[in-house]
Amino acid sequence: MIVVGVERLVRFKLQSWNAFAPGLESHHAWREWLLHPSDLSSELGKTSLKQIPPMLRRRFTELGRCAAGAALPLLEGIDSIPGVFASRHGDTPLTLSLLEGIAEGEPMSPTGFSLAVHNALSGLLSIARKDVSEVTAIAATENLIPSALIEAVTQLQDQPRVLCVIYDLPLPELYKPYSDSTPFPCAVAMILSREEGDGFILQSDNGPSSDRDQSGDFMTLLRLLNGLESSVVFGSSLTRSRWRMSPE
Amino acid sequence: MSNLQLEIKQMIIETLDLEDISPGEIIDDEPLFVDGLGLDSIDALEIGLALQKRYGIKLKADSEDTREHFSSVNALATLIESQRVS
Repeated sequence: MIVVGVERLVRFKLQSWNAFAPGLESHHAWREWLLHPSDLSSELGKTSLKQIPPMLRRRFTELGRCAAGAALPLLEGIDSIPGVFASRHGDTPLTLSLLEGIAEGEPMSPTGFSLAVHNALSGLLSIARKDVSEVTAIAATENLIPSALIEAVTQLQDQPRVLCVIYDLPLPELYKPYSDSTPFPCAVAMILSREEGDGFILQSDNGPSSDRDQSGDFMTLLRLLNGLESSVVFGSSLTRSRWRMSPE
Repeated sequence: MSNLQLEIKQMIIETLDLEDISPGEIIDDEPLFVDGLGLDSIDALEIGLALQKRYGIKLKADSEDTREHFSSVNALATLIESQRVS
């Protein structure tokens, strides 16, 4: 529900969540790592994705494997659920390889082209799961996580539950001077529900801005989900609006 | 398996990221799409591009002949041989 006024605020219930990064695939592993952080690989490495038939699995790029790795365990036993798929930078390694091919005058791979669109991953999952529920793909320069959550909460008006998947990769070296990005592949999947789960509040925040960049927002969310913080603020000194999230 | 058939199978495996499949598992006269190997329409476009790159063969995406050429490894081999002769 959205309360109109100076304070913008949404409430929702979180039925389940799962997160994925190199070597971190369980709630327990995440909690341990957040308490005792160490450097993670900037590449995802091997993933099984055993839920996806092999002929479709070959279409999942590193970004897709990361997001699917987070989402699929939550979807066991769920035949149909609408999804919000959010990534700030999208599949930049794939896009860059296509652009380099154009620069060299090579004909473009139809497969590569079809997978480079922002909603390709939601399409692949839809085919693999034979789930024709609506999907929404979001890219946001600022406030990716709050934007994805607000979209998912809004869809709860029509649906009893909504899948929300937020995922990004480190930018290729060529792009790094121009923008910040997550230091390692990371994906968080959440099922938001009208009825079931732990209550959360997401509201606009007017407090002093932090001096960090947005690349920390994934860890901010995960610290909250793991119960290591009672309230967190997304965004950076550069973002124009900031959002606070806390348990209800 | 002739050399050309083997070459086509290796091309299919390489261009379509079919790392788990060996050339021996692709049957010369079985359908490549849907029922047999289980390739889809994006794969058809990718094979079309590979034929163009390797053998200089250009095909029309919407013609009935193209459908026939893509029906099996044997059909692709016939196509490539006919282009070599002419």
